[in-house]
Amino acid sequence: MRRWTTMVTGALVCALALGACSSSGEGGNGAGGPSGPGPTRKAAGTLVLGAEQEPDCADWIGSCAGSAWGLWTIQVHTIPRVFDYRKQAGVWTEVPSPLLAGAPEVSERDGKQVVTYRLNPAARWSDGTPITSADFRFTWRAVVDGEDIYDKTGYDLIESVDDSDPRTVVVTFRERYASWRGLFAAYGVLPRHLLEGKDRAEEMADGYEWSGGPWIARWRKGESVTLTPNPRWWGPPPKLAKVVFKFLASSAAEFKAFESRTVKAIYPQPQLEVVGKVTRRDPQARRFVTTETGNVEALWVNNDRFPFDDVRVRQAFAYAVDREAIVRRLFGRLGVTEPVHSFNPPIQSRYAAPAFERYRADPRRVEELMRAAGFRRDGDGPWRKDGRVAEVVLTTTTGNKRRELTLQILQEQLRRAGFRARIGNLPPADLFGEHLPNGDFQVALYAQVVTTLDPGLCVVFCAKNIPGPDNDHSGQNFTRTRVPEADPFLERVDVEADEQERIAASKRADELLAEAMVSLPLDPLPNIGLWDRRIEGPVADNPVLGMFWNVHEWRCRGGRC
Amino acid sequence: MLTFVARRALAAVPVLLVASFLSFWFVRVTVDPTAKVRQSRDPQAVARLRERLRLDEPVVVQYGVWVRDALRGDLGTSERTGEPVSRMLRRALWTTTQLLLWGTAAAALVAVAVGVYSALRAGGVADHLLTTLAFLGLAMPPFWFGLLAIQILAVDLTRWLGLSEPLFGFVGLHSGDGSGFTLDYLRHLVLPVMTLTVGIVAEWSRFQRASMVEVLAAPYIRTARAKGVPRSRLVVRHALRNALLPLVTVMALDVGLLFGGVIVTEQIFSIPGMGRLFVESLRVGDAPVLVAWTVVTAAFVIAANLVADLAYGFLDPRVRPR
Repeated sequence: MRRWTTMVTGALVCALALGACSSSGEGGNGAGGPSGPGPTRKAAGTLVLGAEQEPDCADWIGSCAGSAWGLWTIQVHTIPRVFDYRKQAGVWTEVPSPLLAGAPEVSERDGKQVVTYRLNPAARWSDGTPITSADFRFTWRAVVDGEDIYDKTGYDLIESVDDSDPRTVVVTFRERYASWRGLFAAYGVLPRHLLEGKDRAEEMADGYEWSGGPWIARWRKGESVTLTPNPRWWGPPPKLAKVVFKFLASSAAEFKAFESRTVKAIYPQPQLEVVGKVTRRDPQARRFVTTETGNVEALWVNNDRFPFDDVRVRQAFAYAVDREAIVRRLFGRLGVTEPVHSFNPPIQSRYAAPAFERYRADPRRVEELMRAAGFRRDGDGPWRKDGRVAEVVLTTTTGNKRRELTLQILQEQLRRAGFRARIGNLPPADLFGEHLPNGDFQVALYAQVVTTLDPGLCVVFCAKNIPGPDNDHSGQNFTRTRVPEADPFLERVDVEADEQERIAASKRADELLAEAMVSLPLDPLPNIGLWDRRIEGPVADNPVLGMFWNVHEWRCRGGRC
Repeated sequence: MLTFVARRALAAVPVLLVASFLSFWFVRVTVDPTAKVRQSRDPQAVARLRERLRLDEPVVVQYGVWVRDALRGDLGTSERTGEPVSRMLRRALWTTTQLLLWGTAAAALVAVAVGVYSALRAGGVADHLLTTLAFLGLAMPPFWFGLLAIQILAVDLTRWLGLSEPLFGFVGLHSGDGSGFTLDYLRHLVLPVMTLTVGIVAEWSRFQRASMVEVLAAPYIRTARAKGVPRSRLVVRHALRNALLPLVTVMALDVGLLFGGVIVTEQIFSIPGMGRLFVESLRVGDAPVLVAWTVVTAAFVIAANLVADLAYGFLDPRVRPR
């Protein structure tokens, strides 16, 4: 009996082990989808990647626009766009994507700005239909006329899209628009012949079978997204037969999955627990940690709320915060030690002046500014003015340990400087959906993430964008910033066609915003990527399109993943 | 018997109604369904959603509309994904049912075997060892057990055996984009089923042991033994059959409670079932999904209770309904 049991157990373990081994070889059989045109090596291998979040839906211009993991797992691989993003001479720049035959031309006709895109004649959808100017026109109308569109900025300034020549798109603007490069890039271009006359949101909500990119995506809700080569892709064909993004429910599972090579690459958010795990030695892994991102994590100050309705108190607040100490504590182990000094993120550094560099922890300046603002303090007690205490409620999103730690450090720094600080965190939906738009906060810690190389801080700092009746309460200037001298420069950044003038205006605006200390930029929130060393290809971060944007160029050493 | 089942099913209706109203009301007062839409730059989006969900009307009216639609098979649309809630629930419920079925079967098998073995060696070293392990299992939080199991049985074991990927999977129920009943599926079931059932195996084995010890001391067993009935037959046919009775009731009740366990298990093992659906919906305050989820869960627990009653009656003719 005992021997029989042992044999059965042994057989079961062997079978499972065999299963483990055989499935690992799955990628090596060379069985792949159809390869692209041209005399190329056959696509081989299945690569499994980890995805921290599952997108809610795949309607990239509506309710699911701005979904980072939606972009990284499906959109970037299937929706054609006019620009790719590359680092050239140390600067991130837009370069024409394979959809275009060359760089777009910007001209002026009858005093109106005109952008002309010439399409690559080989560009076509996965069903063989050519991608034409009619698709551009359809996309423009879908954005402008659609309901629940995430952001119509720029598209609503288009006067016409001329589609008389299928291979040439002529976009005429009603007024000058400097950020035109973001159009048909972040949203991409949608297929008119497949979506016209249909409910786009419903058609795309659960994923779609068509593609205008190197891959066709199949989304199994809750489980995975599988990419297989698009046989009609006109660019360099994918080298892998299949790419699978597995959705991982927790960061603990994510790192275990990578450690055991259940997934071969991950792109984790820089949370506290992640920092320790990333720095752990793993000779089989490669990694990048970069601060060249589109992120700026900042302390967003409500300029309307006491005591921050006085510029001197805001400045004192900035001198009370030791930003270097916070950044070192959060990301020092990753080699990130310097705070950011502008609200223009690192990928837009050419538009940024290091204006906030002046704010380094300085108790003497705090004392001077608070006294100048009429506050008094007894010994180690808090600052008071007319019987009111300089009290600060610090808010961030619940459940984010890194941000919670940041606020705890900050609370202690502020207490030492004479501010009474307490923490009142909120669920993300409440903070972003209710408290920020209504101005129901004092100091909030969160990140501003941009997905374009075009600058544009007017949306968050121009007085006209303070939520109110004038903008149907849809303004994004949650901090209620009012710096009249800065507004013309911020507005100019949005419309100025001359690049040098635009840079100058942006830097001047930075200086004025820093002088008024409207809010305080903190850290660049680094991007982190880890991958198995058997993956070959240009693996690097792309701050706009994410780590996996060029997965069609990746392959596994020897065809085995 | 049919009358008994029908009566019990009817009695469950008011329970379901109360449970659904309470969850509906609780979700409405604690969650702002427009929070996500407020982030949209379309100023009309919030107004449209308020109108669609009838948020300006009293909760009772909103609930009435929900019940009316639910009776027509329309559980609403997820505010998070825009997908029909019924479709989301069906998909998640199928995954969770698999976990529960395998978990219950495995737990019952292990618990009965351990309980009987322990009872037959009551007071011995093996009994003490199994008792200690059972208490350890009872005391161990499932999330911690799950992480420990992943570390040891997946990550470390893979390294020790020099495999290219883990012996036991722990991300979903298949490797890559696989599907179906395969060896790979079984490899992915082991750790979540262990995590889900570690507590109930410990509980059920203690129950089985106690019940078995009691039965083995009964006079009719002594008589059977004195008559020379072989030991294996005595244990299996005479003792175990009677000792299973109380356990069956506990098992049927616990299966309903296992729903709570799947929340943790599915989160750790990235399994897209009811537990993960609940967590994700709660995170963003997806009211239609939360309400429907609660009703389905309540229905499941009520059904498990009904099964417990029926099973008990089936096994013990003395309590069979007439």
